Amino acid sequence: MQDTSTTEQETTITQPTLAFKGQGSELFSIQIVNIALMLVTLGLYYPWAKAKNLQYIYRKTEMADSPFTFHGTGKEMFIGFIKGIGIFGVLYSVLIYGMLQAQTDPGTYFICLLIFLAGLSVLVPIAIHGMMRYRTSRTSWRGIHMGYRGTLGSMFKLFYLNLFLTIITFGIYSAWFTTNVRKEVFKNMRFGNAQFSYIGEGSELFVLNIKGYLLTIFTLGIYSFWWAKDLIHFYINNILIEQDGKYSRLDSSLTGGQYFKLAVGNLLIMIFTLGLGYAWVVTRTMAAIVNNCEIIGEFNPDALAQTEEDYKNATFEDMADMMDIGLV
Amino acid sequence: MFEGKYYNGRTSKGMPAFITLEPTYIRVAWQAGGESGTEIWHLSEIHKSEFNDANTILEYGPFPRQSISVFEQGFKEALEQQYGDAEFLKSSYSSFAKTGITGLVAGGLSLLALAIVLFVWGVPALAEKAAAHFPEEYERALGEQLHAQMMLDQTIDSAKTEAIQDYLAALEVKSDFPITVTVVKNDMVNAFAVPGGFIVVHDGILDEMERHEELAGLLGHEIGHVQMRHSTKAITRSLSYYMLLSILFGDVSGIAAVIVDNASTLHSLEYSRTAESDSDKAGLELLVQNKLNPKGMVWLMERLNSDEPEFLKFISTHPNTSDRIKNIESHIRKTNYKPEPNPELEAAWAKLKDR
Repeated sequence: MQDTSTTEQETTITQPTLAFKGQGSELFSIQIVNIALMLVTLGLYYPWAKAKNLQYIYRKTEMADSPFTFHGTGKEMFIGFIKGIGIFGVLYSVLIYGMLQAQTDPGTYFICLLIFLAGLSVLVPIAIHGMMRYRTSRTSWRGIHMGYRGTLGSMFKLFYLNLFLTIITFGIYSAWFTTNVRKEVFKNMRFGNAQFSYIGEGSELFVLNIKGYLLTIFTLGIYSFWWAKDLIHFYINNILIEQDGKYSRLDSSLTGGQYFKLAVGNLLIMIFTLGLGYAWVVTRTMAAIVNNCEIIGEFNPDALAQTEEDYKNATFEDMADMMDIGLV
Repeated sequence: MFEGKYYNGRTSKGMPAFITLEPTYIRVAWQAGGESGTEIWHLSEIHKSEFNDANTILEYGPFPRQSISVFEQGFKEALEQQYGDAEFLKSSYSSFAKTGITGLVAGGLSLLALAIVLFVWGVPALAEKAAAHFPEEYERALGEQLHAQMMLDQTIDSAKTEAIQDYLAALEVKSDFPITVTVVKNDMVNAFAVPGGFIVVHDGILDEMERHEELAGLLGHEIGHVQMRHSTKAITRSLSYYMLLSILFGDVSGIAAVIVDNASTLHSLEYSRTAESDSDKAGLELLVQNKLNPKGMVWLMERLNSDEPEFLKFISTHPNTSDRIKNIESHIRKTNYKPEPNPELEAAWAKLKDR
């Protein structure tokens, strides 16, 4: 796969290859230092550890033989980390206080629960927005930075409308919720003068999930790997890049069989190394996703121009982590 | 002089460039189309460069950064030879990776050993220290909440509860906390202690008992758990494990879940073997203190023993019941007094059995 596309690249520049060159042993040596420093600092080193981790992963992810760069630093993320811990500390204190009052004073419990849920639902759109702004601005390739142009207001509007529809449809709408958030996020993502968009539809995801769910039950779980493959395709293959009026598309050729090998292999690695093999799990997963991904169309990697401003606010990078939000 | 590509930070077009390593700066002479130019890179403004492979990348200056990419062999070595001490080449991560397989294996194993030490000794020891310093009022308040929450899905036998409280009142008890005993309808032979002096007894275990000394022994055992703060310590311990894991994996959302989870599973909390045998000793002491037959403790154990299916004994993490009996009997041999009948306790016991 690799070989054919590199030879192709000499004849045409419109099909840049994507590749992940990271090695488990290298990442492992980074993670060991990270974990040791986190233990010594009682976890405060986390933002620096995360920065180093991302710097490595980005550095080893290549497009057209040039690597991406993550410019984020531990110092930037540390401030966000502390703010995040503070906000979560307050929210959880309220919740725990309410729980302890639940028997004697159900009213207080109800109010505390409400405050907690309201707090979370305000934080989620803020965190998505903040993370996208920070993460894209700290990502560059050949010196060209990504960027995020979305506004917090439009994210709020979209989030609450979709949350409302999801609640009144008892969760059925969640497939459209997920898709609409992706549409909003990608629509506002810039890669220099190129612009992303997402063309997946909620109905597609809904059908895919119903089919995956039923077949997984009928095949006693075996189909779950093909379901996961379908989800990856849905998330990747619907990403478009527009550059100077021409559209290209990301395309994943990952098969269910490959995903099966990846997932089972990862599980075995984790079990037999007592978790120490986590670095290999990361590099294997990255390699499977990235090496099977192509850009189809007339994307010209040599024609990107710098368009974004410098941006350094990392407040919500870690908060998104704490809420387990992973978008890309 | 090395050949590479120069990126000016304004477009992604790579420009062929000749790179020269001068003593105090790097010279980048680029050429693209009809244009050409020369950049002088001062060492102090070159950004830290880590994780290079066949491709060595250097970045320079403020946003938007310029960069060079060099595939030519020998460039990395030349950089290190020329600017070995420069800030942009320093990396603690790379230097650890350079220790090779031995370093990685040693690092991994010592990390694993550290984790085991921390989990097996460090966390429990710290948690117990912390639990021992909880103010009593706080522990009582926590216990009240937990107890109330547990009673929600239990049927309280109020007649038996009243009778068992009368029995307790006639006993001579030493405790930091006021002891509140509740009898609930449940066939399982079980009883457990909630922090702050709350004891819950299943009527299933009362039905099995034939002599009141067994009840005294049971109460003594549970009061022992309360007095030695075993359940508070167990909660603190599982909470600290969780906090340690969430620090390592950066997830805080589960801490509240652990507290709530513990409230509902208090009755199946695992105490350590030492905690159980210490409480057995406390039960025995209560019998001795009240001049009751110390054999009560052994009889109690036999009730527990008969309940446990044979096959479970191997896998049970609870201390083996026959070991506990042996342990108690060795303590009984050290006691030296004549049990005296206690009419008040017997009357309360009769009343309890009646209901």
